Amino acid sequence: MRTPVVLSLVGIAFLGLPVLAPAYYVTLMLPFMAYGVVLLGLNLLFGYTGLVSFGHALFIGIGAYTGAVLTTHLGVRHMELILPAAALAAAVVAAPVGALCVRYVKIYFGMLTLAFGMVFYTFLLKFYKLTGGDEGMRMLRPYLLGSEWPGFSKTAYLIGPYYYFSLAVLVLATLLMWRIVRSPFGLCLKTIRDNPLKAESLGVSVPRYRWYAFMISAVYAGAGGALLATPTGNVDPTLAYWTHSGNIVFMVLLGGFSSFFGPLLGAFAFIFLQDTVMSVFPYWRLIFGAVLAFIVIFAPGGLMGLFARGRRPVEVSRA
Amino acid sequence: MLAVQEIDVFIHASHILRRVSLEVREREVVCLVGRNGAGKTTTLRTIMGYHRPRGGGIRFNDVPLHERRTHEIARLGLGFAPEESGIFPDLTVAENIEISTWTRPGGRPAAERLAAAYEIFPVLKQYGARKGPEMSGGERKMLSIARALALDPDMLLLDEPFEGLSPAIVPTVAAGLNEITQRGHAILIAESNIYHVPDFATRLYVIERGEIIFAGRPDDVRKDAAALRAIGGHA
Repeated sequence: MRTPVVLSLVGIAFLGLPVLAPAYYVTLMLPFMAYGVVLLGLNLLFGYTGLVSFGHALFIGIGAYTGAVLTTHLGVRHMELILPAAALAAAVVAAPVGALCVRYVKIYFGMLTLAFGMVFYTFLLKFYKLTGGDEGMRMLRPYLLGSEWPGFSKTAYLIGPYYYFSLAVLVLATLLMWRIVRSPFGLCLKTIRDNPLKAESLGVSVPRYRWYAFMISAVYAGAGGALLATPTGNVDPTLAYWTHSGNIVFMVLLGGFSSFFGPLLGAFAFIFLQDTVMSVFPYWRLIFGAVLAFIVIFAPGGLMGLFARGRRPVEVSRA
Repeated sequence: MLAVQEIDVFIHASHILRRVSLEVREREVVCLVGRNGAGKTTTLRTIMGYHRPRGGGIRFNDVPLHERRTHEIARLGLGFAPEESGIFPDLTVAENIEISTWTRPGGRPAAERLAAAYEIFPVLKQYGARKGPEMSGGERKMLSIARALALDPDMLLLDEPFEGLSPAIVPTVAAGLNEITQRGHAILIAESNIYHVPDFATRLYVIERGEIIFAGRPDDVRKDAAALRAIGGHA
């Protein structure tokens, strides 16, 4: 009963934000929405299938570099083409990488994804001619709905058309993911997370379903990566670095992986918390480390778990 | 229908099953009786593909099972209800039963299969939207059997369906199993308590220390002193 009310209020706030809030805060919403798309996918793997990837920045990197290569080298400027291309590129890489990784679980899966992420990071860094090395590449302002929006300054473009475009992508990605987790496929993923051996005896092909989940999460990360590149205007190898993978796992934990909207809340909290802490205290990672420790020990359900407390207990595995 | 032929199974270095053979024919209810640790669960888990026999073979409707993976074996029509029930806590009772209709589509329509499963244990209907952890042990057993049944299997493998149940609920489960056999499914039951062997069981195997020491009709086991000693029954 409460959820539709909260969602409509959030929706109205999002629509009105560019008009009401200072431009600075509106620009902070852009990475939030890009990460939102990434995290919806990551949580299909993490929260729903029970696999923690420490290399998912690999796919953010692929999506972002796809956008940069398309806009600067190939003259493709339409965001409506860039997003599917980024998603496709991520899927092409995720197919073999995922097929290898899903044969392992727990720490082995995490380490293997980390290794693949670092391989790609090194590739970006060392193949200077192709990728621009540590300087990266420019991501030119993409066309939205077929228009370059010529009358808009960079900021006006970002907090106007690009904001609403990102919002539309996030909403579509959310609706699609909602359908996925509620489908028989999504429920089979939960059975794999809860008890893979038992799921198999009911006819669930565990490695295949894990692979599907991996592919879907990579596609989401690719699209999110392309979305993330525009506000920065530049892509560089740190997008694929392992600390970036760590950050998105942190966002999921912060928001709460056992809830559908938890990761979105986590992305939001992470970005605004980072902005606030960085402005008053240079050692923001120190604060974030403490926050992470606090969450794992006292609020394993994340922020969403705190809000939902009393409604549904969050079950924590210490195993 | 199911033929286990002289399988040898090792778990790590331990020789758990020694040349175990057993057979389940169409519409039969076969009980595999033995003490805890005798090898009942290992036998069922080997049939389901969790363990690979080092020697011998398993055939189900003339398909060699010992080369297949677990989910393929399930889709061939073997419904497995393990000892610990294996209810998925995050799924509702209805979803727990529905899984089987998604993983093995084809054959009879899903609605018909679900109706058949609920008909055996009508009590489950009232739990529809509840989640697994809110159920009692007996209800979980029933849910586990109903879920295996919704797979529309030719044969059910039930590991200790009566274990840990209150005496009041044992007849309910037994009646459900009887009803299942009336519909033409074969059943292989692993059971540690001879007194739980239902009277509609057609044949009985006694397993002790990984070996089959008796095979025959349930009435005949009472004449076999060694078998009777192994399962702790009174003559």
